[in-house]
Amino acid sequence: MSDFLQLIISGTATGAIYALAALGFTLLWQASGTINFAQGEFVMVPAIVTLLAMSYGLPLWLAFLLACAASMLLLGLGFKRLVVDPLIRHGTIPLVIATLGLSIGVKNLMKSSYSAEAYPFPNLFPATLFSVGDLKISVYDIGTLLLAGAIVFGLQAFLNRTLTGRAMQAVAQNTEAATVLGIDVKRMVLYVFLINALLAAVAALLVTPTYLAKFDMGDTIGLKAFYAAIIGGFNQTRGALLGGVLVGILENLMGAYVSPAYKEGVALMLFLVVILFRPEGLLGRVEERKV
Amino acid sequence: MNFLEVKNCVKHYGAIRAVDGVSFAVGAGEIVGVIGPNGSGKTTLFNSILGQIRPTSGRVEFCGEDVTGLSPLELSRRGVGRTFQSLQVFGKLSVRDNLIVAAQEFKGTLHGRLLAAPDAGLGRHADEMIELFRLERVAQLPAGSLSYGQQKLIDIAMAFMPAPRLVLLDEPCAGVNPGLVDQLRELLLELNRLQGGSFVVIEHNMDFIMRLCPHVICMVEGRVLAEGEPETVQSNPAVLEAYLGK
Repeated sequence: MSDFLQLIISGTATGAIYALAALGFTLLWQASGTINFAQGEFVMVPAIVTLLAMSYGLPLWLAFLLACAASMLLLGLGFKRLVVDPLIRHGTIPLVIATLGLSIGVKNLMKSSYSAEAYPFPNLFPATLFSVGDLKISVYDIGTLLLAGAIVFGLQAFLNRTLTGRAMQAVAQNTEAATVLGIDVKRMVLYVFLINALLAAVAALLVTPTYLAKFDMGDTIGLKAFYAAIIGGFNQTRGALLGGVLVGILENLMGAYVSPAYKEGVALMLFLVVILFRPEGLLGRVEERKV
Repeated sequence: MNFLEVKNCVKHYGAIRAVDGVSFAVGAGEIVGVIGPNGSGKTTLFNSILGQIRPTSGRVEFCGEDVTGLSPLELSRRGVGRTFQSLQVFGKLSVRDNLIVAAQEFKGTLHGRLLAAPDAGLGRHADEMIELFRLERVAQLPAGSLSYGQQKLIDIAMAFMPAPRLVLLDEPCAGVNPGLVDQLRELLLELNRLQGGSFVVIEHNMDFIMRLCPHVICMVEGRVLAEGEPETVQSNPAVLEAYLGK
């Protein structure tokens, strides 16, 4: 029983990281109809920037803040202005293709200009264990859960308890009405892109000690975050959280009780089941779209 | 000075002349009705005035300033609001939050608003509107869960939340229970008295428009066919022919 609980706790911690990246997927989709298949690279870039800054002698916290600023500037503002704004009026498909291209481009740019090697990344939390009865709990797992939880609660509080957050929800629900009511839609959408870049940077801080900093580290987390967002419901932020945590837990259980070989396939299997039987996702809502 | 002056407004879609040289003026506090059969260019005229489409030619002036082609956002900041034929509420937000969000852009500075509490001093005004529109019982419910008529009232209340100087109302009675139509007319007259703004109202409900608007414009095939006092326009043979045929 204690093994099972330990697997649940560590799976929830891993799932919380997936959820952070998945949350970015759902926010971008709701605010601007953007599906960002370069989301994994949005996690990889701040990880590499953090390492680069640390190589110049900066402490982890300062290097991470620098990575956050760079991420918001390049992957938030830059991505919106240079990729999304020119393409969004042509519909979703050109933007999907562009983000797939961006993913390949960023990966190869990082490989050729930085390195193709994998580098260890400092752990934010100690890798020690503490006991609660028979349970052996990792400080890293608890720290990850607490930090990811704080980010998610902070984001929810911003969206639900501030005037700007409500305006961002209004834009996501009805852009035309928001425009006529004088809400600056472009600014609200920009906020969403900045938040997405920040979420990806935090995910990088938490996931890179496990994945190692490498140009293609975003492949796995980007894909799992996408699956998690679809599983939970692409049009629901709560869905991204549920999808992320579900994938994290089921991966751990599959690895321990069936075979580690199947662990990486859990997200894909769950994704296929959801697409077949509940395409709107576990918490998603069916959307009507004008054609 | 006129609040709104539309001068020879033209909007062509290829060979189709949706709006074909329309001119009219709206004075301070005046309520002007726009009638006409379906496809006569009324909504296209609204969209041209509000910058949602750019007129092919012509000029739109608001308080003496040329605002032709300005975006809805820029017009909104100058005090121009509108409602649509279809419902435009934020379905997942509560009725009260819908009203607060509708006026948020006009409250404080950008940085002040960023982390401002959700009602940011607008709660009292929202509550007054809720009382005026008799929406107290549903104020905390998600707007999307209410009846069409109630959502229509919310839609109209939202347009008036920032106390605009000019409001363009596109078929406010469409889909509304006939029992609500009189209440709606009384509400608009009350808002006109309280806020002092000017209204331009598109409507097919003749009784509603004749009792609300001291000045009526009838459009047919993109042009102004007749204008003047409601009784004069209503009894104009050309208007009768446009509506009823020969």
